[in-house]
Formats: sequence, structure tokens, C-alpha cells
Amino acid sequence: MIQFFHVTKRYPNGQIGLEDVTFRIPRSQFVFLTGASGAGKSTLLKLIYRGLLPTVGQILVNGRNLASIPRRKVPYLRRTIGTVFQEFRLIGRRTVLENVSYLPRILGASPRQRRQVAEEALDRVHLKDRIDDLPEHLSAGEQQRVAIARALVSRPEILIADEPTGNLDPDLSREIFGLFREVNEAGTTVLLATHDRHLVEEAGGRVLHLAGGRLASGGDEVGGGGAPGVDS
Amino acid sequence: MNLAQAIAYFLREAVQNLLVGWRVALVAVFSIAVSLLTGGGFVLISGNVARLLDEWTERARLVIYLEEGVTPAEREALEARLAAAPAVETWEEVDSRAAAARLADSFPSLAPLLEEQGSVPLPASVEARVDRRSSRGEEWGLWLSELAALPGVEDVDDDEDWIRQMEGFAGIAGTAGLALGGVLMAAAILTIASVVRLTVYNHREEVATLRLVGATEFFIRGPFYAEGLLQGLLGGTLALGGLLALHGWARATLPGVAGPEGPLGRFLAPQESVALVVLGGLAGLVGAVLSLRRESLGVSETGENPLDI
Ligand SMILES: Nc1ncnc2c1ncn2[C@@H]1O[C@H](COP(=O)(O)OP(=O)(O)O)[C@@H](O)[C@H]1O
Ligand SMILES: [Mg+2]
Repeated sequence: MIQFFHVTKRYPNGQIGLEDVTFRIPRSQFVFLTGASGAGKSTLLKLIYRGLLPTVGQILVNGRNLASIPRRKVPYLRRTIGTVFQEFRLIGRRTVLENVSYLPRILGASPRQRRQVAEEALDRVHLKDRIDDLPEHLSAGEQQRVAIARALVSRPEILIADEPTGNLDPDLSREIFGLFREVNEAGTTVLLATHDRHLVEEAGGRVLHLAGGRLASGGDEVGGGGAPGVDS
Repeated sequence: MNLAQAIAYFLREAVQNLLVGWRVALVAVFSIAVSLLTGGGFVLISGNVARLLDEWTERARLVIYLEEGVTPAEREALEARLAAAPAVETWEEVDSRAAAARLADSFPSLAPLLEEQGSVPLPASVEARVDRRSSRGEEWGLWLSELAALPGVEDVDDDEDWIRQMEGFAGIAGTAGLALGGVLMAAAILTIASVVRLTVYNHREEVATLRLVGATEFFIRGPFYAEGLLQGLLGGTLALGGLLALHGWARATLPGVAGPEGPLGRFLAPQESVALVVLGGLAGLVGAVLSLRRESLGVSETGENPLDI
């Protein structure tokens, strides 16, 4: 469950990242986050995993008020939120197994346990047989699937993806979207940011649409909604 | 993960990082080693000087040279004065022949000369052993000058002056050594700090990933602290080895100075040797702490972490 109450994010340089945004995403929902480049999608996602703090407003994630989580507890919040990015963010000198099992490793899993949980996660993205490869030996689509497996390894309640198909061609994008669907069908809340309207229309479902930092549509399920913005 | 596992993980990561960046790591290790070698060298020297001073101090002597024609009455008056002084523990008379024999004993090369000069006897003297704890200050000085003014007394020679000079010298040398070692240590700490910072920079993407998946600060920082610690310990060990080698070399080439009986004959005590290595480790740790301020790990003051590092 993700809830924003009149959230505004102003960056230190004065730039407005997000302005007076209110919405609610219930558990296990699949939601697209759309908007042109600079509309505030990445800002909104970073606020959810407390990569940023809001300037104004309240954010609830899985029932917890993010403002009241002390800094040293933030890692525990992050373990309940999987994150995927456009640029994959895999570590080149680590194998797929190592990339996927960062969290199990620091939680003290033995090498065998690590391989097992990594295999399970890779299985969900249909990439089990590449577990011992280095990322550079994988295609772009495969690399993004490894990143998704890494996000899934902690069995997060929420999966956040910031333009995960931005570097992929339409066919691969559809395939990756399909993976997110599968993850969602298994019960995980998915919030997927993209500016690819075509794919969103094709996929259907709830869409939060941002324009100029404001919620232009899709926020009304909680009653408040966003002020209509100017879509650029 | 329990603490032992965590430490093993930190060390493994640190060793890997050191092996990957061994060239810069070596610079840091050497700079720590040089500073500790310098500091350790001064500790070795001042330790030996202090030991010598202790030995000399134990045998602090007061020598009263007698005039040639000293009368028995004058001797008695002198001895009465010595007996009355609480700082004077014992004394003995050394006649001129005994003085010559002793001199010949200490400086064999002078023996023929002394025999030749038998006609010019050394002055007879009274040697007193003095408790230095009660033989300081103005009163003692006054007492000495009164002693020197007694009839039949030629001169009074007190070790005190030069023991004090030596103590002053040892103090200055020790302070200078510590200061020099401190400056070198500061430089070494900064070197380690930059090496660790370089490692952090090279790992910034991994650090960002670790943050994203929910690693705690402890796990993110641990390997970097371990890296600083290892560099410092290596540097300390290298310094200890270097000091041992230098001392061994000095022993072989200058046995009179660094031989077992020489003034620099004693190596660092075991605790001092351990302290040298531990100090290296501490310096490395401090360097790592300095390089791991929040900003360098991509967290702003407000605790925000835009992950754009
Ligand atoms: N770190 C930052 N500092 C200042 N302004 C920023 C920063 N990040 C984003 N912005 C600004 O906030 C607005 C929203 O950006 P962003 O959330 O990245 O949009 P999107 O992800 O939809 O492209 C933009 O105007 C952008 O310039
Ligand atoms: Mg963005």
C-alpha cells in the first residue's frame, strides 16, 4: 500500500520535482506512472523508497509513515521495496549470481542458500541458466531481467520500476512488461514509470499521469485527485 | 549475519579491494611504514638512553678530590661531614695508586702511559655514593660548595650536572622524535584516507546498489574500514620488520654501539613492538573514517539519498 497526501518536493536549487500530489495505491495493484520527461516520475518513485524526503506532505508505505522512520531504519524499509531502473545498475565485475544475491549475502546466507534464492528469483524472470555469467555476456533484455530478479530476491511487497524498458526495443519491452504482470499476479504491488504511452494503452490498467510535477489524472481513487496540469 | 561472519565478509572484501588496487595501496602501506619506522626508531633510541640514564643514576657518584698534602684531621672533618649528610649513603677512599690502577683498567690503552708517569700521581679522592632522590635542589648545591671549600679538598665532582644534561637531551630527542613521527603519521593517515576514498569512488555503483537493496551502513562501510585497518596493520608490520632489520644490521656493523652491551643494544620491548603494529592499524582505521564521511557515500545531510552517486 502506497499513499501520498499533498506531497510536494522542492529540490535544494528551487526546482519543483513534485507539487501537491495525492493518491493511494492499494495492495497488489498494478499501476503505470506516466508523464513526459521532467514531469516528476523519478521524483515520485524516489520518495517511496525514501531516496528523497518530501518538502511538504505525508507518505505512507505499507502502513508506515516515511517521515517517522529514522535514518538507520531506512534499510529495513528498502528490503520491502524492490527497485528497477532504466540503466539496469548491475555491477559489471560480479556474476549474475552475485548481482542478484547482494541482500542474501549481507543477511548471512551461506553460498548454497544464496545460490538457491538467486535461482528462485532468476527462475521468475526465466533466466536461471545464466546464473554464472557476467552481465556483459548478457543482452540488454537479459540484463534487465537480472535487475528484476535482484529486486525480487527479498520478496518485496512493492516493486518499483523507473522506465525499465527505456533502453529496450518494443518487443523486449512487452516481454519485460509481461514479467511485471506475472510478479503482480503473485501478489506484489507494482508501480511502473514510463513515458511510452503506446505500451501503456496496449497493456491497460490504472494509470497515474503526471504533468509538470502535478498529478493530471489517475489519483481520484482516493477522492482527492490531482489538480489538472498542463500536459506538455 | 553474526559479527564473526560480518568481520570475515569485511576482510574478504577488503583483501579483494586491496589486491585490485594494490599499486595505490602499496603507497599507503609504505607511508604508514615510514612514519612508524621513524617513530619506532626514536622510541628505540630514547628507550636505550633512558635505560642508560637509569643505570648511571643508580651509580650517581660524588667524587671529592683531595689536595696532595691533606692532613688526617682534615680527612676526619670531611668524613664527619659526609656522615652527617643524609643523601650520602656510603663512601670510600681511593688512594692515588688505586685511582691509577682503575683508570688503567677502564682504558687499557692508557696503561703504559700511566706506568711511565708513575712519578706524577693522580690525586687521592673520596668517592661517595649518593641517593639522588634527596640530593637535588639548592640546599644540596650549597652543601656541595661548602664541601668544596673545606681545607684539604681540591675539587668536588658531581655527576648530577651531566645526568641532568643527558636527561634534557633525551627529553628533547624523544619529543622531536614523537613530533616527527606524528607529522609523518598524519601524512600517512591522509594517504590511507585518499586510497580508501579512491576505493569508495571505484565502488560507488556497488554502494548505491547496496543502499537500494537495503544494506545497513554497517555493511556498506565495513569493508572500507577493514581496508584502512589492513593497510595500517601491514604498514605497522613492515615498520617493525624494517626496524628489526636495521637494528640487526647495526649490530653486525657497529657492535660497539648496537651490540648486546652497546648503548643502543636493546631492541623495542615486546609490548612496544605490538604497539607499533597496533598503532599502524589505528592510523589506517582513522584514515578510513576520515574518508567515509557521509557525502562521500552519496548521502546528503538531511539523510536524503538521491542515489545519483
Ligand atoms: N536532483 C535534482 N535537483 C534539482 N532538480 C531536480 C533533481 N532531480 C530532478 N529535478 C527536477 O525535478 C523535475 C522532475 O524531474 P524527474 O522526477 O526526474 O522527472 P521524470 O522522471 O518524470 O523525467 C524536473 O524539472 C527536474 O529537472
Ligand atoms: Mg525519470
